[in-house]
Amino acid sequence: MTLLKSAYQDLEDIVGPDYISDDPSIQDSYAFQWLAELVRPEQSHYMPRPVAVIMPASTEEVQAITMVCNKYHMKIKPISTGWYHWAGPIKDEDDTLQVDLRRMNRILEIDEKNMFAIVEPYVICAQLQAEVMKRGLNINIIGAGASTSIVASACAYAGMGPSTYWMGHNSDNVLGMEWVTPSGEIIRTGSLGSGDGWFCSEGPGPSIRGICRGFLGSRGGLGVYTKCAIKLSHWPGPKEFNVRGTLPAYRLPIHENFRVYTLAVPSWDAWADIYYKIYDNEIGYIFHRQFTLAGADLGPALWLILNDHTKTLNDIEEMVKRSDIKELTEELRISFQIILAGRSLRDIELQDKILDQVLAETGGWKVKRFCEDDMAEFTNVYLQRLGHKHLNFVWVGGYLGSWMQPGTPDFVKKYVPIAIKGLYRDAAGGLLVQCGGDALMGCGSTVAGGGWSGLEQFVSYDPADRESIKAGTKHMEDAITDAISNGIPPGKEAIYLSLGYKDEKIWDTLANSQQPIIFHFQRKIKEAFDPNDIGDRNYPTLPEDY
Amino acid sequence: MEKKKEHLDRIVGAEYVFDDPQTLEAYAKDLSFVLPIKPQFVVKPKDIDEIKMLTKWANEKGTPLIPISSGPPHFYGDTVPGAPGCIIVDLSRMNKILRIDRRNRIIIIEPGVTYSQIQPELVKYGLRVTMPLLPRGNKSVIASLLERQPTLISRYNYSLPEPLRNCGVVWGCGDISYTGHAGNGSYSLDEQWNAGHIPIDPRGPNATDFMRLLTGAQGSLGIVVWASVKCEVLPSIRKLFFISANKFEDLMDFSYRLQRLRLGDELLLANNKLLATMLGNSDQVRDLKEKLPPWVMIIGISGRALLPDEKIDVQEKDLTDLVQQYGLNLQSEIVGISNKEMIDTILNPSTEPYWKLKYKGGCEDIFFLTTLEKVPHYIQIMNETANSLNYPVSDIGIYIQPQHQGVSNHCEFNLPFNPNDLKELTKIKELYSKVSEELIKHGAYFSRPYGMWANLVYNRDAQSTMVLRKIKKIFDPNYIMNPGKLCFKSL
Amino acid sequence: MTLLNYRADALRCTRCSYCKWIPFDLMKSWRFSKGCPSVDYNHFHSYSAGGRLVTALSLLDNRIEVTDRVIDSVFKCQLCGSCDVTCKMCRFDMEPLSALRELRFKLVEEGHAVPKHKSVMEGFRTQNNMLNKVKTKRGDWADGLNLRDLSKDKAEIVFHAGCRYSYDNDLNHVAKASVSILQEAGVDFGILGKEENCCGGRAFNIGYKKDFVTAATKNIKDWTNAGVKTVVTPCADCYYTFKRLYPEIGSEIKVLHMVEFIDQLIKQGKLEFKNSVPMRVTYHDPCYLGRQGEPYIPWKGKEKKIFGQVVIYEPRKPRYNGANGIYEPPRNILRAIPGLELVEMERIKEAAWCCGAGGGVKEAYPDFFTWTANERIEEASSTGAEAIISACPWCERNFIDAMKEGDTNMKVFDVIELVYKAIRKEDF
Repeated sequence: MTLLKSAYQDLEDIVGPDYISDDPSIQDSYAFQWLAELVRPEQSHYMPRPVAVIMPASTEEVQAITMVCNKYHMKIKPISTGWYHWAGPIKDEDDTLQVDLRRMNRILEIDEKNMFAIVEPYVICAQLQAEVMKRGLNINIIGAGASTSIVASACAYAGMGPSTYWMGHNSDNVLGMEWVTPSGEIIRTGSLGSGDGWFCSEGPGPSIRGICRGFLGSRGGLGVYTKCAIKLSHWPGPKEFNVRGTLPAYRLPIHENFRVYTLAVPSWDAWADIYYKIYDNEIGYIFHRQFTLAGADLGPALWLILNDHTKTLNDIEEMVKRSDIKELTEELRISFQIILAGRSLRDIELQDKILDQVLAETGGWKVKRFCEDDMAEFTNVYLQRLGHKHLNFVWVGGYLGSWMQPGTPDFVKKYVPIAIKGLYRDAAGGLLVQCGGDALMGCGSTVAGGGWSGLEQFVSYDPADRESIKAGTKHMEDAITDAISNGIPPGKEAIYLSLGYKDEKIWDTLANSQQPIIFHFQRKIKEAFDPNDIGDRNYPTLPEDY
Repeated sequence: MEKKKEHLDRIVGAEYVFDDPQTLEAYAKDLSFVLPIKPQFVVKPKDIDEIKMLTKWANEKGTPLIPISSGPPHFYGDTVPGAPGCIIVDLSRMNKILRIDRRNRIIIIEPGVTYSQIQPELVKYGLRVTMPLLPRGNKSVIASLLERQPTLISRYNYSLPEPLRNCGVVWGCGDISYTGHAGNGSYSLDEQWNAGHIPIDPRGPNATDFMRLLTGAQGSLGIVVWASVKCEVLPSIRKLFFISANKFEDLMDFSYRLQRLRLGDELLLANNKLLATMLGNSDQVRDLKEKLPPWVMIIGISGRALLPDEKIDVQEKDLTDLVQQYGLNLQSEIVGISNKEMIDTILNPSTEPYWKLKYKGGCEDIFFLTTLEKVPHYIQIMNETANSLNYPVSDIGIYIQPQHQGVSNHCEFNLPFNPNDLKELTKIKELYSKVSEELIKHGAYFSRPYGMWANLVYNRDAQSTMVLRKIKKIFDPNYIMNPGKLCFKSL
Repeated sequence: MTLLNYRADALRCTRCSYCKWIPFDLMKSWRFSKGCPSVDYNHFHSYSAGGRLVTALSLLDNRIEVTDRVIDSVFKCQLCGSCDVTCKMCRFDMEPLSALRELRFKLVEEGHAVPKHKSVMEGFRTQNNMLNKVKTKRGDWADGLNLRDLSKDKAEIVFHAGCRYSYDNDLNHVAKASVSILQEAGVDFGILGKEENCCGGRAFNIGYKKDFVTAATKNIKDWTNAGVKTVVTPCADCYYTFKRLYPEIGSEIKVLHMVEFIDQLIKQGKLEFKNSVPMRVTYHDPCYLGRQGEPYIPWKGKEKKIFGQVVIYEPRKPRYNGANGIYEPPRNILRAIPGLELVEMERIKEAAWCCGAGGGVKEAYPDFFTWTANERIEEASSTGAEAIISACPWCERNFIDAMKEGDTNMKVFDVIELVYKAIRKEDF
């Protein structure tokens, strides 16, 4: 795939020579994407190369680039912080222009009183959180962590995290959005379109954001989001995020308005019960099942290793043999984390009291070792900022998420044993990390206010070992089979795998879905806003004749 | 005509097809200034199948359909036919409560289910639905939520359509789909339910948030045939508090603070005229208004689930501390009305006649969204314009309802008038039009552009208009759904 | 090791881009949140550690050839090691910084060196310094100081001034101050004067591994001949080279940076601060003293897998992640100086922003080093400090050069200068 000289010139005229490149090394650095090896031929780590990479600095430049893509029939693929194989070009036969938005990196405004901030796509969660905390405010950092683009999680993909329970899903937190459609129009949603400011995402009349910001988001397949306003939440902690400790065991002292707990329950029924009770009692600020991502068998030892900067993974073999670690591992088997925050001391004390009662009613307990100062302070920094999320890759560099079907806790608990059994089975041959069948991680609630959970199985494979990669791919296929044979729809792995499918296979799947009309509607939306088909299939559609 | 009726009879049954002059007259107009147009028929379908058939037939014939869920009176012109030959699809027969799920705190209801109907049922399960301010008893829950009417508890308002979650829709084009999580499953809600798929997550399905397209649409894209609604745990204890002020500005910073802290449940701000209208009978309003302070903030606190007494206690103490910091006074009663009476009066559906009509028999509302700090400016515009037209400022009710956890605020001016006084009617029309224009000019965001507001709003927002027309073409290509509303004037 | 040894690192990189930022837990503002000067200045992903790993992989797999862009992206980087810290916060199986060095070695070996580096290396080979200065003038800074000449004499401690402090007339008062402090404390030491050689560290970092080995071998031999057991240097680059690289080729000589030595002298009561130095200052951690200044731990081993695919190393591999850099000694000193107020920047210690001079950038990319330095100067200014203090002549030179084009009144000092001011009345 090469870019016509005239196209290159047109693009260079927009951004200047320093901000466009079609050098193969630059192309490859964008083609190389996490998870590519699971879906690409020969376990290649590269998605297709973009014909060039371009870096606009403004909405107007994005618009001009979009027009060039229309002129030359190139796919346009935005990337901001970018962390998934769908951030790159998808199909070998397409000419795809990668639009790296990293120059659009400003926090344009923080409206402290009205609790929102206006940001460009390369502002990451950690940056904005640091700024808004100075003003006593906070943001919902998505599960992928502090390094992610706020515009991406608000406008284009997913949007949930440990704080969603209290702070809202970013698709709810997004206010005014600025969107350059594939046909090159600049759309400003909600109050912004009326020239009345950024504070409201809905209307006038039907909410336009509905066509581009659904459950998954369009993942770069339906234009480029160039700015958005994001709703902020109260932060009842100190204005400075002053961590202590030696890396990687950073620790955030626990302010008097907070409590930080790792809790455990005796059964998955009790797990669902305690979630419902937490929802009903409206306690909690951050609520997540996080630490099990490292596996219920090895996880407890790993977290202790991470909290001692003198230790490495070499210590784990010995540690898991220790009786105290064995006991701890059992104690933590069905566990999760919760951070309570009070608007006042009496409020936090009451939440604490309620939590004790909820634990008593469900047979749950506070995991003593993980509630001691060092681990609690580590948990505090970990979940408040989510700055350790490359820990997902800690075992060997490759991690894929399977399952994670969203639903009520009662629904989620139904697939937990199947997921656990499946991972033990698939890792038995040693080609996947054997950290325990339950490496299930997920939000306390992915819908604000509670009621909706989902657990993602963290499956670790070695990206430097083809056999291990193949085992990862096979696990995903097996997980789909496991789910379907138990009457459960396929989970996250199905989305991963579909990146490698031919169009026809995807269309067959969509056509066989329960309500295929959805994808016909999306085709019509695409036809209306992307008449030249320059967006990629991350925005899924069904051909008319399907 | 007769042939049409035969078709309709076949679809919904002859006893549910109405074309008597009285009925048609009743649906031809509402209390707004939108020009009356008589519908051709009124039909009352009983289920989704009938609606689907109606839609199919309407597309074939090019006959406009206007869905209506709530009972009268209607206020904003959105249910008044925008063209001759329309058929009113009155959904009041579809009033079943399909599910009440205590554990998941979700209900599934049909569009004809009203606030008066649902709340007592929910009490049996220890639940309630967050309501708008004093809705009329026959107000459809779904219609209220679809139109993004403000609700009283802003801290539960994670998003403006909350607590609306999933919908079943017959789109204008005749296709059926479910929004949100339900859109991933089969068309049988029972089947979905039995498989554990509870319609809670409002997003999607897939890359589109179909529910958002339906909100604020005034029935112009499709007909919602069921919806799931998230409930709160029913409080076992409730208390109301009041803070008085001479001017709105005195309450503003405190309101911001309460919103940020998410302290308490209900939170609204009302001027004395509005509060008097809420509390008094028609002959008491004037006296009551004189007794009330110019502005009152009403704060509700509740104890629910575990340790309700302690929850109330902590909230009350926190509230007391906070009020002192702002130099304000927290009162547990106002003008001698007991706390219980106050709760019963203002936190329930309205008694008859509808409260806004009590004072003069007619009332025009002007409402929009804004950030809180701009409210004083808008009040000033309202008052100055009223003065310029000799409309008594003292008659204007003002209601400020924080939404979206304080980021947006619904600002509403109630302009009562005597509908039988032609002079007053003329004046109110002029005032309504002039104030609306002025407010829009000064940045008031009319997010629900009813009646004359539609032109004012969409003329300023060409891009949204273009996008909405594209959306309309997808979901209602033959413009059969409630034509003439919003920016959907004609094909 | 060769680049091939790091192929697995490239394959296991997940493009998380943590290498572009400081550790997120330490982030205090939008303005000072970046960790990698290279990608922040040059933007394309290839200018980050993760991007360079892709370049390495693509070269190894013959997907790409060495183009001007490849050379630019590989060498336009200070090798400051910020990426290494953030990557390894939660990764035990990655060595991005080592991989980047290997990538440079490969390019240089294959004849793809940066032209400006080639001319610097000519000077290195003929004059034994990185500044292309005359070798015989290296010891001029010590004229008249009557220091013991270890090319003729013996001592257990050698003071190694380094290229920059030896030749840079704006800075060599620091070398003078250093020896004066050592004398004041009664330390028995000597210098190699004009026989002192470049440490070779900068040659190593710009990809000339063989030249480094030649220089290191000679230095070790000279020290051994002079009976040296400890080398003390005021230069962070030299310090890193001696401490971390020399043991790989057999050196057992103890290495101390002057700030460590002074810190010890203060603790031992051998230095008395007589004068107040009323100044509000901020301290800039040199990369090669801070996060890269961790003690050397010998290791030779291989990867092993446990629990199916968990990567460990047999024997246990040392973990260089910035946890044990030299952070406190310079701060201890500054806090001990009467009248001096130390205020910290946002990015400090393992999260420090580079001055811009390292990795051959000073020699080849003037716009880039100036920009990088100015970023740091702006951060220093934001603290309200009147001076930026460092413990490395390359940082100091770079700040001084960058300031020539700016409008700041910020002063630049070495920690050693301030110590000197506090113990001696007269100025240099």
